[in-house]
Amino acid sequence: MDGPILEVEGLRVDIPIDGGVLKPVRRVDLAVARGETVAIVGESGCGKSLTALSIMGLLPRNARATSDCIRLNGEDVSKASRRRWRQLRGDRIAMIFQDPMTALDPCYRIGDQMFEILRQHRRVTKGEARARSVELLRKVGVPTPEERLSQYPHQLSGGLRQRVMIAMALLCEPELIIADEPTTALDVTIQAQILRLLRDIQRETQIGLVLITHDLGVVAGVADRIVVMYGGEVVETGTCDDVLGAPLHPYTEGLMRSIPVTGETARGETLGFIPGVVPRQSGELLRCGFLERCPYAREECAAGPVALRDVGAGRSMRCVLPSDDGVRDPDIWTRFESEEAAS
Amino acid sequence: MSAEALIMRGVTRDYPVGTAFGKKQTLRALRGIDLSVRRGQTLGLVGESGCGKSTLAKILLGVEEASSGEVLVEGRPISEYGRLDRAGLIQPVFQDPYSSLNPRMTVEAIIAAPLQVRGVGDGASRRRRTREVAAQVGLPDHLISAYPSQLSGGQRQRVAIARALIGEPKILICDEPTSALDVSVQSQILNLLHRLKRELDLTMILISHNLAVVNHLADEVAVMYLGQIVECGPSEEVFARARHPYSDALLKAVLPPRAGARLPELHGLEAEFPSPLNPPSGCAFHPRCQFADSLCVERAPERKGDDHFYRCHHPLGKAGGEITARPAPETV
Repeated sequence: MDGPILEVEGLRVDIPIDGGVLKPVRRVDLAVARGETVAIVGESGCGKSLTALSIMGLLPRNARATSDCIRLNGEDVSKASRRRWRQLRGDRIAMIFQDPMTALDPCYRIGDQMFEILRQHRRVTKGEARARSVELLRKVGVPTPEERLSQYPHQLSGGLRQRVMIAMALLCEPELIIADEPTTALDVTIQAQILRLLRDIQRETQIGLVLITHDLGVVAGVADRIVVMYGGEVVETGTCDDVLGAPLHPYTEGLMRSIPVTGETARGETLGFIPGVVPRQSGELLRCGFLERCPYAREECAAGPVALRDVGAGRSMRCVLPSDDGVRDPDIWTRFESEEAAS
Repeated sequence: MSAEALIMRGVTRDYPVGTAFGKKQTLRALRGIDLSVRRGQTLGLVGESGCGKSTLAKILLGVEEASSGEVLVEGRPISEYGRLDRAGLIQPVFQDPYSSLNPRMTVEAIIAAPLQVRGVGDGASRRRRTREVAAQVGLPDHLISAYPSQLSGGQRQRVAIARALIGEPKILICDEPTSALDVSVQSQILNLLHRLKRELDLTMILISHNLAVVNHLADEVAVMYLGQIVECGPSEEVFARARHPYSDALLKAVLPPRAGARLPELHGLEAEFPSPLNPPSGCAFHPRCQFADSLCVERAPERKGDDHFYRCHHPLGKAGGEITARPAPETV
């Protein structure tokens, strides 16, 4: 099959609260091809984790997801029963969480947690489950895998725990893996190893990978395509090199300007930043969601909601600015700082 | 008065650890730290978790005492200062502004607390000073009577910085001041720290695992590994020409958010970070070092160099040495 592994169309998440509805995810479209890594990037509160949880069918009880379709390898799972979800999760689609210490059960041995997944989804004997677990632990670079099976999560280092999580995700050879900030809790040296491991495994198995992160450095290292989210909406998409090389949406541009880069930013140079805070996502958007924080804002931005438009070369942006103006002021993101200092 | 705001000489810190079977062991968190920071300078402290960065910060804050060695603050041993004097001289900014602010106190009470504890001034003068510091850290006036829960992460960190600054300390110890914050907010706090350091002539210790942040703010950088400083020198020097293989690996592990960036190849670092309960013989880094030989296993390397010093038998980039060329960074 050559179609995409994952197709999401018009995904919305609503959370009813006192006196209204929060809308943390607003009509998100997403497609992931076989062997492709798509990074969903954004700050906390932009809706990236809820998008991932919706794809996994793991939303909290008080949240309601609606969508035109969520197709997993051709099968529409948006209306799947809970029974069907239990079959899919861990088998066709797996998730790697940010903090392996809380994602692994501290009361069970590593081995038992791995066997459980296999016995849930496959007709295997205990011996087969054991052999398969050892094989995968070895594959993800866990030393002395046989011994690890009888250890508890607290006996492993953070990097090893994350490797165990990856091995567990791979047990049933899923078609899609969703990794939610898989290296944020790890040291930089371990981070590079885990990312390399994820990438190597993905190349070998042609799994589709959705990587959720706020770290543009991680994205640059492993992603093929980037989906930038802000305020529950997709604001920019494109290939990794295109988006990082020349961001189109002011939000992406602002993020890039905020990060000091060794060898590029001079020591103590004023860094750019995005003024204001991520607004609370309630009610329908009646204008551009980024308007209050955007230094390029103009009158037409307030006229109505801005649509995500295709700008060619596989890129899209949700902004009224021309995609090829090339005359934007690079210092615009630092100007607020001097205003702040003056006040 | 000497030019050094802070001097550490041979500082060690041991923790007794009991194991399940009652066997007593010693965890050597710091194994002989020599460090000095000149007044008005920023020292960046980097290293993986478990290397002793936070223990060092605790000793400087007086929360922990050194097991041996000397800590001089403004030329006087830290133990000679009373608790309140020390607090007036050195102040911390912690990583997580969600847990470091009391949720039941208003912003004003939080910021003024250090003055209140020390009994400085009367209510009116404290209020005046609180507003002054709040303005200095860019906290809007109307937030002064708010509670932490009403503030964003960046605003909270500004409150934490204002609280640290209100007593006019000489030294600020920032332990991962931006890692709990969103990217667009991080840069605001970095800008703020840089401005304050200039305006107030602060001496700063910046603890961070983010080397780009350290390079951005710090004049000097010290790389820690398993309770020791393995390399220390001016930031430009260390970032351009790291001599210790570990510093070099840490620098290479940074992923720049730029198009075309590739994952770094880290030779040897796959090995586990060793346990401080049972440190490796000789050079503590040898099990993870691609250049290690029998000398490294047997003998701990001496400190070499002055302004830019390192502890390594086979430093990188040494002309005429055994290893003259750095291995080319492999990319895939």
